[in-house]
Amino acid sequence: MSKGFNQLLDAVVRIDVREVAFESGARRYAASIGSGVILSADALVLTNAHVASPRAVELSITLSNLERVSAKLVGWDHWTDLALLRIDVADAKRRGLKFATAEFGDSSKLFPGQTVFAVGTPHGLTRTVTRGIISNNNRYFEDTTGVNGYETGAFNTWLQTDAAINPGNSGGPLVNEDGRVVGINSRGYLGANNLGFAIPAAIAKKIVAGLVQDGAITRSTIGLVPGALQDLENFYSLALNTGVLINSIAPGSPAARAGLRGGDILLAIDGIKVDGRFPEQLPPIQNLIASQPVGAKLKLTYRRGAQIADVIVVTEKLESSVGEEWALEKWGMSVRKVSRTYARVNQLTSDAGVIVLGVQSGFPAEVAGLSRGDIITKINQQPVESLAVVQAAHTAFEAKPAPTLLEAQRDRRVSLYILKP
Amino acid sequence: MKRLCLFIVAMISLTALRAAELPALWAERLKSVVAVEYFTETETDRRPSVAYGVVVDAQGTIILPSAAIDPRAVPSQLKEFKVYLPGDPASATAEYLGQDALTGWHFVRAEERLRAQLTPITKFASASATPEPALAEDVWGIGLRNKDEDFTPYLLKSHIALIQSLPQRTAIAQHEVAGPGLPVFNREGVFMGLAATSFGQTFLQFSRSERGGSPTMLINVEESSAFQVAEEVLPYLGRVPKNAFGRPLAWLGAYGFEPMDREVAKFLKLESQSGAVVSEVLEGSPAEKAGMQARDIVLAINGQPLPRFKPDRVVVSYVEREVERRAPGDTLTLTVLRGAERVDLKATLGDEPKLMREAARKYYERLGFTAREFVYGDAVARRVKVAEGSGVVAHFVKPNSPAAIAGLRTDDWIKEIDGVETKSFEAATEKLAATEADTLRSEFVLLVSRGGETAVLRVKLK
Repeated sequence: MSKGFNQLLDAVVRIDVREVAFESGARRYAASIGSGVILSADALVLTNAHVASPRAVELSITLSNLERVSAKLVGWDHWTDLALLRIDVADAKRRGLKFATAEFGDSSKLFPGQTVFAVGTPHGLTRTVTRGIISNNNRYFEDTTGVNGYETGAFNTWLQTDAAINPGNSGGPLVNEDGRVVGINSRGYLGANNLGFAIPAAIAKKIVAGLVQDGAITRSTIGLVPGALQDLENFYSLALNTGVLINSIAPGSPAARAGLRGGDILLAIDGIKVDGRFPEQLPPIQNLIASQPVGAKLKLTYRRGAQIADVIVVTEKLESSVGEEWALEKWGMSVRKVSRTYARVNQLTSDAGVIVLGVQSGFPAEVAGLSRGDIITKINQQPVESLAVVQAAHTAFEAKPAPTLLEAQRDRRVSLYILKP
Repeated sequence: MKRLCLFIVAMISLTALRAAELPALWAERLKSVVAVEYFTETETDRRPSVAYGVVVDAQGTIILPSAAIDPRAVPSQLKEFKVYLPGDPASATAEYLGQDALTGWHFVRAEERLRAQLTPITKFASASATPEPALAEDVWGIGLRNKDEDFTPYLLKSHIALIQSLPQRTAIAQHEVAGPGLPVFNREGVFMGLAATSFGQTFLQFSRSERGGSPTMLINVEESSAFQVAEEVLPYLGRVPKNAFGRPLAWLGAYGFEPMDREVAKFLKLESQSGAVVSEVLEGSPAEKAGMQARDIVLAINGQPLPRFKPDRVVVSYVEREVERRAPGDTLTLTVLRGAERVDLKATLGDEPKLMREAARKYYERLGFTAREFVYGDAVARRVKVAEGSGVVAHFVKPNSPAAIAGLRTDDWIKEIDGVETKSFEAATEKLAATEADTLRSEFVLLVSRGGETAVLRVKLK
């Protein structure tokens, strides 16, 4: 193999993660293994968001020389399934640890049939190289719960490869014969053979830059869910390669307030014509909106029936439907804040409340009759505007246990519950 | 095996009755029970069903329990009602009169020639005030075999194990005492009540329903061990529906009552009574006009505090029955707890908006689906304003039909047909009928809404 390829092998690391999980009604820790690639001399490691997230409490990196060193999360972006870590440089220096760095290749030049290699730690088997080809270089693959319950894939397309990708390969690089990183391996189809997916290097480069600068990627949204127009141009009497179908509009979102609705055809954004004939074309259109600053005014040109009209929509910050999580140990209950997005998707009247993630049997929450999925809207008659309200009530209960009145909603039914000491 | 055991038990305890008496009582009372057969005709199939009924008057009126007819079936789909006397393969025709909202009973009327052979159950009612069965009292009833055995009657006998308010007074016997919907008698042959439908064999499991969940029940569909006592039956026998839908239907418009458990009641210092939390107040409803708000806790109706029931959930049926037993135009004072304050609300009950089963519908054989009028309940289910609720709903989609292949699913809300908004059922059906009739059409397009998502479906007809 080339010299570049050998250097790349030395830049691939194994990542051991210990992270907190709240599903069981308590704070529990789980361990997992992933892969990563060292990008720079200042020890930035790129991996998947589903490997290293803010839930991680301990990140340990095994270098190619089998030495272990700890790392910290710089930032993550579940939409592209990427996370950036930084190795504890001081520790590495003190121990005289050396590591190689990898370089990005040009993912836009990849062609189907081109030979690529996946490097990583499948099932804990360190430094495994598998070989395959680019099966498709522009795969649309959106998933609302793909990254440990977080949304992914709306803003990028993926590289598809038949290089074997197994659990543990996640976060490792997909490289060309020169050892250049052309993608970050992210996922495979369960139960399928050789259907692996990787985030293209072109996307990864931008996300890395954003995470280094801000620790997070900020996107804008207007609450518009696009759909491909495939085969429907005739029906809408559209010229070929014109417009994108508005599949749905999130209730209460800026687009809904502006009067847009499902079934409208979006023709242009700020005068830039959009073409959403095929699913692969949707991520760039989403990006056009997402890359606007929060609060920007967008002029949308759309068609409804025979009418063409313009409407001004003000963007707002894109939020995940997954809110902050916490365990209320004395109550034997773990909760997640209702986010604005969650409230809209589930047609809740407001985003006040916390969702019950789990209850522990025999603890007050379970005894009272609460169960997973209930949305707690009030505690002792006080609206749950934030997680802090719940935490404060729990702290008060810890200090001085007293019956606590909860109001919770299941589907559309409202019930009262008493947490008894 | 179970039935055999039961039969042996019944045979043994039978000796306790005076031998001469029961056969005479049996023969007389058998004339008040019948089997009723009918067909349900849907878009693509036709299914027979059988239920047991009790004769309630000299006009040949028969009541069937609420579960005798699938609640999703529309009266116009119910065909060919036939009445069979126990043990007799001959049948007489009957007419379906409708369902009563309060009792849930379906009313059927047998043709004239049969009426002489029938005896109304009221003949066996106690002359004075109807006694409630006592604990451990012996009771017996009639079971009917299936159609292939000519609905041959057989004896069931047991004794009362427990009496509960659910909220109707319901006696639970140790073993099955009658076929569902059939009468139960005491040793003297006095009518004691009507067997409940599919009541759990293990009633204790019913009692211990989990909050929010449905009670677990083991069901013997042919026999029942529980019956609603005579005082819950006799006063309502005259509620013959004026039409198939049982209209007028009283309507309050408070959605999703939830019971208050003991701990909550204690916390709110309401130990001696019960309450029901209102989950939602429906748009334009009498409840809304009366000023009711979501999360109000109903504490009293017309000054009467809601009684405590076991299990707590029963209070929900209690509140619903208090509405159902009244008529549109009646007023009701509801005392609710709102935060820390008690508020009296005066509601004038309205007439229930058109129900889904009353909605107009039309089946398109070639397209492969039934379009149903969008009604109030559809707006509630989809959380849209009533004014926004126009158009039609796919009520039935025929498997492998053009509509099904295009991806149309039951309950999809069809908002546009060929790019034209469906403003009314009439407009939609006109367009669909034209499409159905136009054999040259190769495709048409539906815009549907499903769970808040919109989808454009291209239906290929050729």
